[in-house]
Amino acid sequence: MNKKPALTALAAACVLALPALAQSRTVTLTTQLKNYGGDGAYLAVYLTDAKGAYAGTLWVAGGKTKYYKHLADWNRLSAGDAKRLAGVTGASVGAGRKLTVTADLADALIDAGYEIHVDAAVEDMRDSPSEIRVPLTSAGAGKAQAGKQYIQAFTYQLQ
Amino acid sequence: MSMGWKAIHRWLGLTLGALALVLGLSGALLTVDPVQQAWQAPGAAGDLPVATVVERVERTIQGIEELRRLPSGVVAVHAFDGDQARAVRIDPTDGAILGPYQPSALPRWVKNLHRQLLLGDAGRWGAAATALAMLVLSLSGLVLLLRRMGGWRHVAGRVRGTLAQRVHVVSGRIVLAVLLLSSATALYMSATTLGLVALDAEPEPEVASVVNGQPDIAGARIALLQQVRLKDLRALNFPDATDPEDAWKLNTRQGETWLDRYSGEVLATQPASTAQRLYDWALLLHAGEGAWWTWAVLLGLTGASIPLFWVSGLLIWWRARQDRPRITNNSPLAQADMLIFVASESGSTWGFAEALHSALIGAGHRVHSAPLERFGLGPAARQVFVLAATYGEGQAPAHAGGALARIAALPVGRVPVTVLGFGDRQFPAYCAYAEQVDSMLRERGWPVLLPLERIHQQSAQQFALWGEALAAALGEPLTLDLRPRLPATTALRLVSRQDYAGREGQPAAILRFTWPARSARERLHGRGLARFDAGDLIAIVPPGSPVPRYYSLASGSADGFVEICVRYLPGGLCSTWLLGLQPGDQVPAFIRENPGFALPASRRPVLLIGAGTGVAPLAGFIRRNERRVPMHLWFGARDPARDYYFRPEIERWQEEGRVASVQTAFSRVPDGGGYVQDALRRDAERVRQLVSQGALVRVCGSRPMAHGVAETLDQILAALRLSVAQLKARGRYAEDVF
Repeated sequence: MNKKPALTALAAACVLALPALAQSRTVTLTTQLKNYGGDGAYLAVYLTDAKGAYAGTLWVAGGKTKYYKHLADWNRLSAGDAKRLAGVTGASVGAGRKLTVTADLADALIDAGYEIHVDAAVEDMRDSPSEIRVPLTSAGAGKAQAGKQYIQAFTYQLQ
Repeated sequence: MSMGWKAIHRWLGLTLGALALVLGLSGALLTVDPVQQAWQAPGAAGDLPVATVVERVERTIQGIEELRRLPSGVVAVHAFDGDQARAVRIDPTDGAILGPYQPSALPRWVKNLHRQLLLGDAGRWGAAATALAMLVLSLSGLVLLLRRMGGWRHVAGRVRGTLAQRVHVVSGRIVLAVLLLSSATALYMSATTLGLVALDAEPEPEVASVVNGQPDIAGARIALLQQVRLKDLRALNFPDATDPEDAWKLNTRQGETWLDRYSGEVLATQPASTAQRLYDWALLLHAGEGAWWTWAVLLGLTGASIPLFWVSGLLIWWRARQDRPRITNNSPLAQADMLIFVASESGSTWGFAEALHSALIGAGHRVHSAPLERFGLGPAARQVFVLAATYGEGQAPAHAGGALARIAALPVGRVPVTVLGFGDRQFPAYCAYAEQVDSMLRERGWPVLLPLERIHQQSAQQFALWGEALAAALGEPLTLDLRPRLPATTALRLVSRQDYAGREGQPAAILRFTWPARSARERLHGRGLARFDAGDLIAIVPPGSPVPRYYSLASGSADGFVEICVRYLPGGLCSTWLLGLQPGDQVPAFIRENPGFALPASRRPVLLIGAGTGVAPLAGFIRRNERRVPMHLWFGARDPARDYYFRPEIERWQEEGRVASVQTAFSRVPDGGGYVQDALRRDAERVRQLVSQGALVRVCGSRPMAHGVAETLDQILAALRLSVAQLKARGRYAEDVF
């Protein structure tokens, strides 16, 4: 694993544009990991709707499908989504590093009861499903949220 | 396939051996964890119901998220204390905290080195390829081991050869099964990691606890948790305090079960897939994480033994490379009129091929020499010679395994093929491979110049006689100048001699030599005097002769000296020279193994039958009989005053119980008891009794004496419906004759 602490993984995901509403906004999601002293973390960043139902995957960090069961909430909720990995996967994220991804989200998803979840898992350490669970709102943008296990701070910016 | 296995083993070992070294050593380090965890695991609590453990742990720890039982028996609890995540080891019997829990005491890079050679995903393929190479190396090693030892029955037998060969074979014999298992399980685990095998049959079910205003049920009251024993538990996830729909999740070897947080009812179950169960087994066997910490230790030792294999394998390869035959003036097959094909195990047969090759060139021929597996005819061919040694129990030498089938498949030519066999008469399969080749050629109808001739113990004299017959058959003068490919000699120093009057005009002596100390480097390369046992032969090269003379050894390396019994032969170059030696004089010599004659390690009684100086190896057996195996000696000589060799020693050994009984027969004194055969006949009943107990028989002496003993024993054993031939076939009877 690369040890450079501040290296940023940049990626763009554009999956969640509702067809009826052409207007969309770019969301930048930043996940800063703690120095938890373990191998690279597997992360799944995804959305659920107002009823708590799965609405789409924004990013999956970590490439071995064998380990996806450890991202338990995401793995369960997204099981019916055949395209859950399409264009949104990257390498696992080392301890102390930061993952930055962008996604184009339809305007209608914002301030509509949707939530952003982050599941995290590290080999030989405890699984942490839905470690982050924040509402996707205009007011919540830019506010850092701490996870209890691996994530030091999670923020999203709307543009 | 013989050629194939050896080549595969050699080249895989040379190329991927270095990577296997890395995986072996890192793997050995990784076994530290399971062993250490086994130390930390509290005593037997496996029969406790999980519900009881939950109740006890909840008394001492707040905010538990997960209770995990590791294969080693360690019970770890993950919890949140306010904002602080903690992981502790607990004693399941009372829920007491034993200390912090750390998954591994080793730096993470050791694991990454082992699994991906520190190269990320590309390295995983590299590690998988190395595991595959290791599997093939183990399999080919097993084939070669069985071939070398002469089959499963002899696989535990004594290993001969240079130190490097012995290290390679002995350690292989010990750890081969573990290596096979490790590499096979590694391949399966690699396949799951690389996505070639899917572990999960289906995704996890959607579950939610049914919120109905009830409070949470205590874990201790859930029926299923009361049934499941701690030893079957993998992990138990507690419901999240902040999520009213969250559920208990129970993970056992059988699969996963979700339980309602309010009612404790089963919400869903998902049995483990077959692939997952296989994976669990593979992990257990490969990593040794389980109750069997001794298995983890064994795995670690096996991993650590790989450098030993690698270094000894390299040395063996290097040595074989240097010993490769070098034929000069070798014509291409298409141009040569004389073809020589050689099947040689240790390379000694190539020495004879070289002599024949240069003799034929001297007679004006164009000669082509090649290994037997390249048998074929060129347009100019007029004569073909096959020089074939026999290996083990009549097999072809390793490199020529497929040659017989290959020759049988060739169209029959008009060129005569003459076969010359090399072997050792002591083995039942004397020259068996040469006989197979010859009879196949004759059956197929190949013409022949000379009938099959068998050369015993690389006898230069026999070879010269064959050369004369060949010269006569070809109608050409031919001089076979054999320069035996002798192993390097070591200068032995005579330290003492015990003189005997021996026969009239033929004095004898027991000579004792020491050898110079060997450096570690010499040992490793098999230089210097090889290890030997009583019954092996020492080859002594007298001045003025290139041909060594062989003497049976009356001592082993463990005795710290070389001892032989030499009788003067009128006109004998070597015996004359040896009997003229004084302490301090030096003798060039090397060891020749005599594996058929050496005694195997067993508790069976042993019949030792010797005459004259033939008592020497038998005395050697008795001398090292520390375990007091019942050995019985029948010794024939002429006159106790002249040739009762080793008399004081034999009498002392009998007092010490190293030899159970001694019968002597002296043929040249009145009432001396006649010959050794007569002594046996007088003891017929006892002989029958010992043989029916499974006794081993060793006979050493002159050829007529050995013949007479065999006849006598056949008469004695007829009552048991046994014969010497049968005993020989079962490996219980061996002769050392001169």
